[in-house]
Amino acid sequence: MSALSALGGLVRDVLQTAFRLAPWPTATGLRVVGSPGPDSPVLLTANYDFTVRHVIRALRGCDVWLVVAPAKGINVWCAAGAGHLTTHQVVTALKTSGVADRVNHRDVILPQLAATGVEGLQVFRRARWRVRFGPVRAADIPDYLATGGVKSDAMRRVEFGLRDRLEMAAVWAAPVSLLVGGLTWVFRPVWALPLALLATILAVAVFLVYDQLPGPRQLLLGAGGALASVAVVAVAGGGLPALAAALLAPFALVALLTFDYAGSTPTEGSGGFDGQDWKIRLDPERCEGVYSCFEVCPEAVYEKHEGSRRVELAHDERCVRCGACVVQCPKDALFFEDGQGGRIEPATIRQFKLNLAGKRTVAVPPPPEEQKSA
Amino acid sequence: MSSLALMRWLEATPERYDAGMRLVTFGRVDRLHEALAAAVPEGARVLEVGCGTGAVTRRLVARGAQVTALDQSPEMLEQARRRLADAPGAPPAWLEQTAAEIDTLPEAAFDAVVMSLCLSEMSRDERSYVLRTALDRLRPGGSLLAADEVIARRPDRRILHALLRGPQWLLGWLIAGSVSQPVPDLAAEVAAAGYGVRRETRWLAGSLALVQAERVS
Ligand SMILES: C[S@@+](CC[C@H](N)C(=O)[O-])C[C@H]1O[C@@H](n2cnc3c(N)ncnc32)[C@H](O)[C@@H]1O
Ligand code: SF4
Repeated sequence: MSALSALGGLVRDVLQTAFRLAPWPTATGLRVVGSPGPDSPVLLTANYDFTVRHVIRALRGCDVWLVVAPAKGINVWCAAGAGHLTTHQVVTALKTSGVADRVNHRDVILPQLAATGVEGLQVFRRARWRVRFGPVRAADIPDYLATGGVKSDAMRRVEFGLRDRLEMAAVWAAPVSLLVGGLTWVFRPVWALPLALLATILAVAVFLVYDQLPGPRQLLLGAGGALASVAVVAVAGGGLPALAAALLAPFALVALLTFDYAGSTPTEGSGGFDGQDWKIRLDPERCEGVYSCFEVCPEAVYEKHEGSRRVELAHDERCVRCGACVVQCPKDALFFEDGQGGRIEPATIRQFKLNLAGKRTVAVPPPPEEQKSA
Repeated sequence: MSSLALMRWLEATPERYDAGMRLVTFGRVDRLHEALAAAVPEGARVLEVGCGTGAVTRRLVARGAQVTALDQSPEMLEQARRRLADAPGAPPAWLEQTAAEIDTLPEAAFDAVVMSLCLSEMSRDERSYVLRTALDRLRPGGSLLAADEVIARRPDRRILHALLRGPQWLLGWLIAGSVSQPVPDLAAEVAAAGYGVRRETRWLAGSLALVQAERVS
């Protein structure tokens, strides 16, 4: 790689981290990684520039075909949840990228986080490709391939480590500090920089400690921020208006920064969700031990036991209601139960996509077999 | 944990869609739809790819066509269904499928294939696959009617278009939730897929093209 393209990659990394909330499309179609042959594995991902570049980087030394599917330039998890990376886009990419002419098998490996949107069985019915859900993280793909598709527990789980937290802090800090700094610039230029800085510091604080705070988290964090910034302004000898701003701004900023907090972390189900009180349920009569739920759950809710032919729903308290397990189960053995004990069937979960607020509101007509016969 | 602040916009698209389209094409979209429908023989068997909210579908049905209308977006189809619920004429067969899946439809079963403003949402690979596959769905002598955003030929118009493109792109994305790249030369791609191109009509300073083509043999 030339120094120039390395620099270009770095610039894009920074911009795409800071502005992850905006789509960043890259070309769809077949990418050749290393020197793959007819037996080489086929991987598929969304046409989000950041992801495609990172997958290719992680695959250094591997020989694979990488199919880039059209997903409006959005990352895999968001695209799958919101209906932009579904069975249709996967079928499109498999049929039109020409990959079928290059290999003598029909197995495609998708990122695990695509499982909320892409129905493995439907892809097989419509395009005759078998879908397997690989690791969550690109970095694990080489090990996954080397072992012939063995996915360790760690490869299945979504983490929220220090690095992920700082990344999410940057994702929120950039637009919020730009917005706040920019607006303030218009009528009080001297406040713009301090406020932008405050937004950045609060963003880091939100993603480091928010999930450990008890009770009214927004108020607590706002109060902490207010205390600190009032102290700073007082020491710097700011006047009354500056002190008032230092007192109030942190509360407003925290509210803004935590607007989609649950949506920005893998540890909480989406906020403002009509399904917030939903519980994941297993119908043991229907379970035949296919274990697709076990393979796709990012929160290790399921356990597999030697000698049993059923999965165990062992940690339902960890469930973030992403729906991946419900969507993939070929036996329709999983469903959600709402607060009133009502049953939300798998067909409904497959038909309704999440929007930002985590609402499953969009009705979807039945699959094409039924449409044709109708 | 589903994120993306701007997803709301995308999510709410079908309702905004028609208004968005009108804005993006400076109101020319209605004329385009009329021209498309008028080019289809009355009573024809029509395959419509990317029917969206059914603006063309409605006009085709009004002309007595038997329409198979396909779109990959369930939300769009829902709007189309609603729009055509009480329309006189044969109700269309709606298919929630991706365009590439027309390869599962019977060969030579249609008198016309209509593609309005959807090719520009596809990659070049996909366009080529869809155009070639659509050719086999047409009976010999059947026609393709494809309308889409293209790049103007005259340099001054290209510049004008490039200037307008940024704001249009942003508006289109915010309001209609779809970002499209114009098809560089629609007529050339149609010809390359094996059709005989009969006519090309352009609107909007040469940036919107209607291509009429035919399955020759
Ligand atoms: C810009 S709208 C045009 C709708 C309508 N034909 C019109 O002229 O108003 C494009 C439509 O094509 C659909 N579309 C885009 N790509 C598609 C694909 N690969 N397969 C099926 N439909 C697709 C979209 O869902 C959307 O409804
Ligand atoms: S158990 Fe919950 S978190 Fe796990 S896949 Fe199912 S819905 Fe998602």
